[in-house]
Amino acid sequence: MSPLRRFLRAPEAVAGAILLAALIAMALSASLLFPGDPQAIAGPALLPPFQDWSLPLGTDRLGRNVLAELFHGARTSLAVGLAAAAAALVVGAVIGTLAGFAGGLVDEVLMRITDAFQTVPSFLLALAFVSVVGPSLGVVVIAIALGTWTGPSRVARAEVLSIRERDYVAGARVIGMHPMAIAFREVLPNALPPVLAMSSVIVAAAILTEAALSFLGLGDPNRVTWGGMISEGRTVLRTAPFLSIVPGIALVLTVLGVYLAGEGIVETTAVRRGLS
Amino acid sequence: MSDFTISRRTMLAGSAMLLASTAMPISGWAQTPKKGGRLVLAADSEPRNLNPAIVASNGVFFISSKIVETLAEASFDGKDGLAPRLALSWEGSADGLSATFKLRDGVKWHDGKPFTSADVAFSALQIWKPLQNLGRTVFKDLASVDTPDDLTAVFKFAKPTPFQLIRNALPALSSVVPKHIYEIGKIEDNPANNAPIGTGPFKFGEYKAGQYYRLTKNTDYWGKDEPYLDEIIYQVLPDRTSAASALEAGEIQLAAFSAVPLADLDRISKVPGLKVISKGYEGLTYQLVVEINHRRKELADVKVRQAIAHAIDKDFVVKTVFLGYAAAATGPVPKNDPQFYTADVPTYAFDVAKANALLDEAGYKKGADGNRFSLKLLPAPYFNETKQFGDYLRQALAAIGIDAELVNNDLAAHIKAVYTDHAFDLAVGPPVFRGDPAISTTILVQSGIPDGVPFSNQGGYKNDALDALIAKASETLDTTARTDLYKEFQKEVAADLPLINVAEWSFISVARDTVGNIANNPRWAVSNWADTYLES
Repeated sequence: MSPLRRFLRAPEAVAGAILLAALIAMALSASLLFPGDPQAIAGPALLPPFQDWSLPLGTDRLGRNVLAELFHGARTSLAVGLAAAAAALVVGAVIGTLAGFAGGLVDEVLMRITDAFQTVPSFLLALAFVSVVGPSLGVVVIAIALGTWTGPSRVARAEVLSIRERDYVAGARVIGMHPMAIAFREVLPNALPPVLAMSSVIVAAAILTEAALSFLGLGDPNRVTWGGMISEGRTVLRTAPFLSIVPGIALVLTVLGVYLAGEGIVETTAVRRGLS
Repeated sequence: MSDFTISRRTMLAGSAMLLASTAMPISGWAQTPKKGGRLVLAADSEPRNLNPAIVASNGVFFISSKIVETLAEASFDGKDGLAPRLALSWEGSADGLSATFKLRDGVKWHDGKPFTSADVAFSALQIWKPLQNLGRTVFKDLASVDTPDDLTAVFKFAKPTPFQLIRNALPALSSVVPKHIYEIGKIEDNPANNAPIGTGPFKFGEYKAGQYYRLTKNTDYWGKDEPYLDEIIYQVLPDRTSAASALEAGEIQLAAFSAVPLADLDRISKVPGLKVISKGYEGLTYQLVVEINHRRKELADVKVRQAIAHAIDKDFVVKTVFLGYAAAATGPVPKNDPQFYTADVPTYAFDVAKANALLDEAGYKKGADGNRFSLKLLPAPYFNETKQFGDYLRQALAAIGIDAELVNNDLAAHIKAVYTDHAFDLAVGPPVFRGDPAISTTILVQSGIPDGVPFSNQGGYKNDALDALIAKASETLDTTARTDLYKEFQKEVAADLPLINVAEWSFISVARDTVGNIANNPRWAVSNWADTYLES
């Protein structure tokens, strides 16, 4: 059975894939459906949803189109989630590989650094970093990656420790390959699958962290973010609850979708590896 | 079981209605204040230094004005808008070199020692002049304070100082603290800064960080039968949304300083038992101001500044950002000021076409992307409204081809970025007008102020004519002539736009119907509350 068919047989994986596809479609179509600045004032302030069909989800406290904000917010969420996860995976895999392959003092130093990062709660680390450097999209990505690279690095190291004892690595040594080349050409690619398996959790966590940072006013103020929308809606929670509920639902569905789809992919590939 | 609950609930509701209907007429004419009771109210910040003689700010006054009193308090109907507190009368000499205060007899400090003119002299010379954030400017020429007897204090000035200014400064700047407590050791490190001792109607009880401040009744207070309340509890509720629900649940009886978000007021005004009051803050007007960094070559051009002023729809700001609880501003003195305000200044109607034309004239044509130039915009994080106005201003600037990038900072970082590092092009600030332009308004446009002074001209603006006007007004003793100079000042500021005044707003109180004597002076929230009472 092909992995694709196996994936399609798991209902939760399919549900996740559909949610994720919808999210990606939203992010890609944002500029087409809602050209111009989504933060532009489009109508009267605090218009409730389903009143005016040109503003289907109503407007916020300044009269901005909530639907347009939602679509553009999908972009930010997805971009930050993917970029932060990619950064965390790359940094984690490289450090883990170096530590595991070099061993000795290098291993000790790198792993103690990892420990140091792991002991600080990742959200606090992100919070501190953004408050010091100042909020902008790039800084938020780095801040999230700072707290999440430790997991991949530990998994990569454990995997490398077992791989470096394999015969083909010994063979590479014998033919005189440079240790760095062995580490990154021979060992790392083989250590990657379990590291990549963590990616869905990391992406989901990164999206949530970005929303939390924006909620606390530490997101990029020049971009629409779902966390920022919830935070702005909170001041009018009693009079206009939809302003917080709508982006909240979007956030839940996104995280759920990313997680389910990611798990589905991991399961199907794991079964394949197990069978082979 | 559920039937029983429902019937009991209905019954309770019914009896509550009955109670309310019978209680209503009684509360209607219950004008004589009742004694006793504990007032619980929301506090949104926790100032560490509670000494109002050093930190003259509303956050500190909110708590410590009940403990430490000033020489006089603002009043709706008193002469010169003042009501006596520790001073009974005040008079300035014709040459502007002295001011005489007759003090109240029989006043005691909370520790039982008598209050005398020595305390006033000590507070003025040792604290207001050298240490107080506002007193440093107003009392800069104070040379000595003579105390011919225990109830007379004569302020002597090295240079003529307008008595109008001293008078206007009394409510906010003249907190008197006990000499016998503060003369020992360094004033800034005195323990009484955190547990103040004063002459006020309430004594400092205790402070639990993150929970509450408790003030207790001063049974020895000089006011006859006052205070009426036994206790005041400031419940720390930093989350603005929680104050409304705490009021509805009856956990607190008062939320001052707009602790209830403006957007909630409409709903909460319909809740039975609660009243929304917009009076009592007339003496505490905040101004929504666009601060401008004149070091940017584009912004140094008055045409660009005028274009920005034309691009801002003040009515939209008042209606949408402040939900109507504000007024559009015309210049650096708010409309509700009875002494200095003039409407006779250049105004900037909302006119995008004119703004675009002015920018074209100034030589900043739109580029291929529709933008003329880019700016950094720093909205101050003090209030939701300043941040929201920042969002609005970005849109308003986009409409005239100016691309503004918002930079959000926390409070400390914002103050550093704007007032020390000058790392801004435009900033949104909320300065306070304190009854006289010389207290905290002229400093916003005057040149020659050292770096790092918050709420001052840090935009590098220099206008010799305006500086001369400010200097002349500061030494003009005649009240009418001085007032005219400040009217001239308003015209000059509105014409040259060193900063752009957008709106003026005050705060809203929400209280239970049972709280009496609310908002009976223009600085009510920061006055002493000796006559505040609870009906039941």
